[in-house]
Amino acid sequence: MNTLLKVEKISVSFDGFKAINSLSYSIGKNELKAIIGPNGAGKTTFMDIITGQTKPDEGKVLFGERSVWLESDQKYQVVWDENLLMKSESQIALLGIGRKFQRPTVFELKTVFENLFISMKKNRSPFSVLFQKLNRDEKNLIEKILGEISLKNEQDRIAGELSHGQKQWLEIGMLLTQEPKLLLIDEPAAGMTSNERRQTVEILKKLSADKSVIVVEHDMEFVKDLECEVTVLHEGSILSEGSIEHVSSNNEVIEVYLGR
Amino acid sequence: MTNSINDLLARHTLIFTIVVIIFSLFITFFSEPYGNGLISTSFVKTLGKTVCLCIIALAMDVVWGYCGILSLGHFAFFGLGGYMIGMWLMYERTAIIVQEAATNELLPLTETELSNAIGNQIFGVVGGYEIPSIWMFADSLGLQLILVIAVPGILAFIFGWLAFRSRVTGVYLSILTQALTLALSLYLFQNDSGLRGNNGLSGLQNIPGIEYLGQEVISIGFFWASCIFLISIFLLFHSLMKSKFGLIITSIRDNETRVRFLGYNVEIYKLFIFVLTAIISSIAGALYYPQAGIINPAELAPIASIYLAVWVAIGGRGKLYGAIIGAAFVSLFSSWFTGGQAPDIPLGIFTIEWVNWWTVLLGFGFVLITIFSENGIIGFLRNIFVKEK
Repeated sequence: MNTLLKVEKISVSFDGFKAINSLSYSIGKNELKAIIGPNGAGKTTFMDIITGQTKPDEGKVLFGERSVWLESDQKYQVVWDENLLMKSESQIALLGIGRKFQRPTVFELKTVFENLFISMKKNRSPFSVLFQKLNRDEKNLIEKILGEISLKNEQDRIAGELSHGQKQWLEIGMLLTQEPKLLLIDEPAAGMTSNERRQTVEILKKLSADKSVIVVEHDMEFVKDLECEVTVLHEGSILSEGSIEHVSSNNEVIEVYLGR
Repeated sequence: MTNSINDLLARHTLIFTIVVIIFSLFITFFSEPYGNGLISTSFVKTLGKTVCLCIIALAMDVVWGYCGILSLGHFAFFGLGGYMIGMWLMYERTAIIVQEAATNELLPLTETELSNAIGNQIFGVVGGYEIPSIWMFADSLGLQLILVIAVPGILAFIFGWLAFRSRVTGVYLSILTQALTLALSLYLFQNDSGLRGNNGLSGLQNIPGIEYLGQEVISIGFFWASCIFLISIFLLFHSLMKSKFGLIITSIRDNETRVRFLGYNVEIYKLFIFVLTAIISSIAGALYYPQAGIINPAELAPIASIYLAVWVAIGGRGKLYGAIIGAAFVSLFSSWFTGGQAPDIPLGIFTIEWVNWWTVLLGFGFVLITIFSENGIIGFLRNIFVKEK
């Protein structure tokens, strides 16, 4: 399986505090992975680095692995399409990395439909946007996504009026209209009812059919339902990696989680 | 659902266009040259100037109310537009006068003598007769008109590019724009700025080549030009803000970071709006100052740009109507109060003279409106309208 994102030995510190300490991580195409860890483990900083909001002090962040046949050496060589550290936030987003924030951040004054319309994958230069109209295919795509995030009946409502859970879904929907390759999802289940959580698990599993998804959570129960590989972060580095059963039987992990 | 809203909006622009045209016809039919003269030429000029102020208020509303950039420098662009057109007006008119005077001379003037004579007429007041190099295009109306667009456009582009690229936002950006305005104004106050220092440019109401028409006809012409430009800008902004582009602009106002993570280059969008509104402000200024007759550096002082923000806030920002109502309402009241027409109020030991007290009244009005109606006069009217329904 090709690797989509590879993070190599990144470190970053804020005023002497090491938020991320020599962390390496990777995710393959169409893979669903979860990252858990207590508060202050560096989960959000990790996402900030991938999306270009924070630049690490050292390390590499690479995106889009490909194998290229080298005639001269008669062998395959691995090349990476992009070095994310050289890119701005908007350029990284255009490469196909979508991010859902911890608190739902949708455009509160716009309707649900408009929110999805703005995030559609299209040319983003102002001169092109000036003349962009919604065509039938795009309308159908938005309708389809509205169905997937269970907001079909709310499409003309102002996003600010939605419930907390619905806003979370709308934001996931906004990521879907961008047709990303990699989704970074920060605490999707926070503040959701148990019914909404179940639906969210379904949505996330469905997404990983044709996208790579990294879910960041600190709720073990929710991660268990996702049934995927789990990485435990603690104080900026990886404590344990593997299935949820493997991870939750690790003594260090138990100490970190229960010791607080 | 969405269709009916679009219909209503389309009808709004139609209503607006019709109202402005009826208003213009009304003024024309009561003016001195085309009607019974009930409306004086000086009042036609006041109205024409007010229309220009409405145009710059529209630009301010788009940059602040829609895009969230509180620029305290847009009046500088307005003034620059006035200077650019003023240079041609003043140069050309002086050249005509100098040439007429020279017809009585025995020998025709040489090129240098002519140039020195014009220079002496224009720059004698700041102690010089050489025509500065920035006046090199002043004999060509076409080139000066291009400068009306190019000078503020390039200035706004350079300033905006530097400021937005460094992610300067909010109050810091406002301070920067104000500093730009102040610097420009102080520079123009210098006698060696090449633009006649604090004397500014004058006699701009005399349009070279068509002076024989008389002020009463020219004022109607400028009034109509201003009204037509107002309608076009209203339609332009209306369709811009209704499009997907407008959705993104207001999204930048509401949550810049989110827009950036959607993959939009926020800086380019801001720059586009900043430059576009600067150019429109400049054209509005180029229409305003021939009606005002004089421009001097005091016009570009930061306080003018602050007034502009006050107009938009009073009218109701984020709504194009709001900007127009605010600018028309406040500037007409302002010229009534400061023109000495408002009756003074004697309070025994103290008399309220409106010429001085108008700003106090404006300040109170501003505070009251912001307390009672967040969205200005428009918001207030909407509340009443909705309650009645």
